[in-house]
Amino acid sequence: MRIRAEYSIGPELRFLSNLDTMHMMERALRRAKIPFALTEGFNPHIRLSMGTVLPVGLWGKKEYFDLELAQAMPLDELRDKLNQVLPAGARIEQVRPIDDNAPSLMKAVNCAAYGFLIRMPEEDISNICQNILKSDSLPVRSRGKKKGVDKDLRRGIYKLDLQPSDECFCLMIWVGTGEPLNIRYDELLDLLQQQGVPSEAILDVFREGNYIRVNERLYSPLEG
Amino acid sequence: MKDKLFREILPRVSKPIRYTGNELNIIKKDWDKSRVKMVFAFPDVYEVGMSHIGGRILYGLINETTDHVLERCFAPWPDMEKIMREEGIPLYSLESYRPLTDFEVVGFSLQYELSATNILNMLDLAGIPVFSHQRTDEHPLILGGGPVAFNPEPFSDFFDLFMIGDGEEALPELLDEVERVRNLPRKEKLLRLAQMEGIYVPSLYKVTYNSDGCLSSMEPVHPDVPGRVRKRIVADLDTAYYPDKPILPYMTVVHDRAVLEVMRGCQRGCRFCHAGMVYRPVRERSLETLRRQARAQLGNTGYEEISLASLSTLDYTGVHPLVKGLVEEHGAQGVGVALPSLRVDAFSIDLANEVQKVRKTTLTLAPEAGTQRLRDVINKNVSEQQLFEAVEAAFKSGWLSIKLYFMIGLPTETEEDLDGILNLLQEVKRIGDQYSPRPVEVRASIACFVPKAHTPFQWQPQDSIEVLQQKINYMTRRRRKGIKLSFHDSRVSYLEGLIARGDRRLGQVIYKAWQNGAVFDGWSEYFHFEYWQKALAEAGIDPDFYVTRPRSYEELLPWDFIDSGISKAFLRHENEKALRGETTLDCRLEDCTGCGVCPSFEVEVDLRGEIAGAH
Repeated sequence: MRIRAEYSIGPELRFLSNLDTMHMMERALRRAKIPFALTEGFNPHIRLSMGTVLPVGLWGKKEYFDLELAQAMPLDELRDKLNQVLPAGARIEQVRPIDDNAPSLMKAVNCAAYGFLIRMPEEDISNICQNILKSDSLPVRSRGKKKGVDKDLRRGIYKLDLQPSDECFCLMIWVGTGEPLNIRYDELLDLLQQQGVPSEAILDVFREGNYIRVNERLYSPLEG
Repeated sequence: MKDKLFREILPRVSKPIRYTGNELNIIKKDWDKSRVKMVFAFPDVYEVGMSHIGGRILYGLINETTDHVLERCFAPWPDMEKIMREEGIPLYSLESYRPLTDFEVVGFSLQYELSATNILNMLDLAGIPVFSHQRTDEHPLILGGGPVAFNPEPFSDFFDLFMIGDGEEALPELLDEVERVRNLPRKEKLLRLAQMEGIYVPSLYKVTYNSDGCLSSMEPVHPDVPGRVRKRIVADLDTAYYPDKPILPYMTVVHDRAVLEVMRGCQRGCRFCHAGMVYRPVRERSLETLRRQARAQLGNTGYEEISLASLSTLDYTGVHPLVKGLVEEHGAQGVGVALPSLRVDAFSIDLANEVQKVRKTTLTLAPEAGTQRLRDVINKNVSEQQLFEAVEAAFKSGWLSIKLYFMIGLPTETEEDLDGILNLLQEVKRIGDQYSPRPVEVRASIACFVPKAHTPFQWQPQDSIEVLQQKINYMTRRRRKGIKLSFHDSRVSYLEGLIARGDRRLGQVIYKAWQNGAVFDGWSEYFHFEYWQKALAEAGIDPDFYVTRPRSYEELLPWDFIDSGISKAFLRHENEKALRGETTLDCRLEDCTGCGVCPSFEVEVDLRGEIAGAH
């Protein structure tokens, strides 16, 4: 039985690397005695595959992993058992069964939403948002594999949303991940600075979620 | 403090998870309700310190079984150190994020000679004066313990006190006493602590030297201070505390697995081995205890691997049933059993297969020397035939990679012994290739021999850097295809040797090396020999006096006042037998060898495995 779990990584665990998070989950699965499936061979490991990498330093509200079970079990029970043993800050939110042939998270997820907590006058930040949406091209120095090359972020930015939040504003940006255009959160930080957001005005950054975008519509990985 | 760390500091450093604490199974005690507050300071980075079993034991021991508190602190990596200094952040503990100056005792674990400069750096980062004589009643007591503390003298300028030997009984007693003497002035406090068994207070001893530079005398300055400091021993390891709920680090640490300490001590009697001498006698844990501990640790951590640790795990009398049982009980969940460096002779096909059933680890063997003659000199009782049989068995059962440990620079070594290592490696590869479908990987890690205090070779000269380099060049020129040789840095070994057999005059050298910029000397990317050369010149100290000079039996050695239980006569006898190429057998297999530890400490070799029979 193959399942997909949605989990959150709180601010206190924001410095975990992807490998650290994977180990945390594997060890929680063992402590909770979940009937996971193991790979064959001399070096068996849990059939667990983590979704797109949550960058070190960011916390995340809706992250995902896939897991194969050797024996079926009620999924609410699986969630509760894991939540009993996970460290504070990590929490399984939902678990759903998925088709054995469903594409992997790494293949399916092609959109992410990043949240930026910004302390600026409303007028300034809302102008910046409009400016971003109005622009035909938004070149930023690439932080990914092709370092030192300019990358046009514009066509990878799908949507912006600005909401007041405790004397600040929460700016959400939906961007493309993976293929064809991968936009990193640190490139968005560079963009915001370029547009006139001082770095000390950005109080927090998190990933709100990961999505599967089909024909301009966003689906949760739990739906697909 | 925590808020500033998470917001402003940690996003700017490499591997920030080293500095956040809050791991699973962390123990945060109520500060105000706790009696003595101590911090366990490990003078290396988090991932090294968290791999250390002694620290895991003491952490659980103090926090779970006493009303004292023991928090943790590690050496920050240089990038973090730089930011901490810029931002004025003092070194803090990972449990309460309090600066080290809030604690009554700061205990450093001395695992490695070259962590000396990190200790000074950590004290300085904590705002604590590095020299003990500069500290006042306001400062914590700086305590040192661990294997390197068996020759504490090079560190004596920086420490208020040392604890020698096993800590399970000694540390709780020490903290109780610290509480009792809490309100005394610092000097009187130390005088009281110096009267406890296993405690050494360097400021209470006066040292004089002969005109040739050798030690002339070392005397206590007060009648209540003992002339000799006896190490502490836990007589019954089976009932001794061992943590069922070790902290589970978030980051991958060096030894990232559950660990069972199957026994403490080893009496194979390898003549170069410091741990083998100072941790006598052998004390084992029972199978029942170990099985229970394995269950508890795996249940509380979720680790996928469990390691059987000790100085010579294959000598544990219950190793076969233990390994079999662990694989039977936990193998189905994909939990593997890891055996650290295996003794060549005790290795059996049966055990190899038990381990391999679940998880294949690289096979590691330590013949230490390349010829039978030299293996007899160092008392490594392994024959070539035993080695080849072990290797054959391993490759037959499917291993594709083998790592062998050797030393160069051993007493009486000649070119023939170096050739011996190369020949042996070639034969291992030949055997492997015979059984394996593809060429096997043979790697050799070659260390430079460093004579250690309290061993039969404590009188022996160490090879100079030049001689070691010649030997390394010789072997490099003659190495064969398909065999990887890696050598330890002979300059690092030289400094290890300096401190391993040094005296208190070296305090100035360590201090000056640190002032010159030395930190993380055990990490090749930060090792700067020139900082030490400069420090030695500035202090006017000839390092060859400590490193390459042969000692006479009559000489008063700087560590003679530490009573490890092993008699000096035994060490001398062993050194003489070594030079004659005579071996000494393990006292569990033959008669008592007369090392002296059992009668002098009224303890016994304690064997607990199923095949131990009458014991």
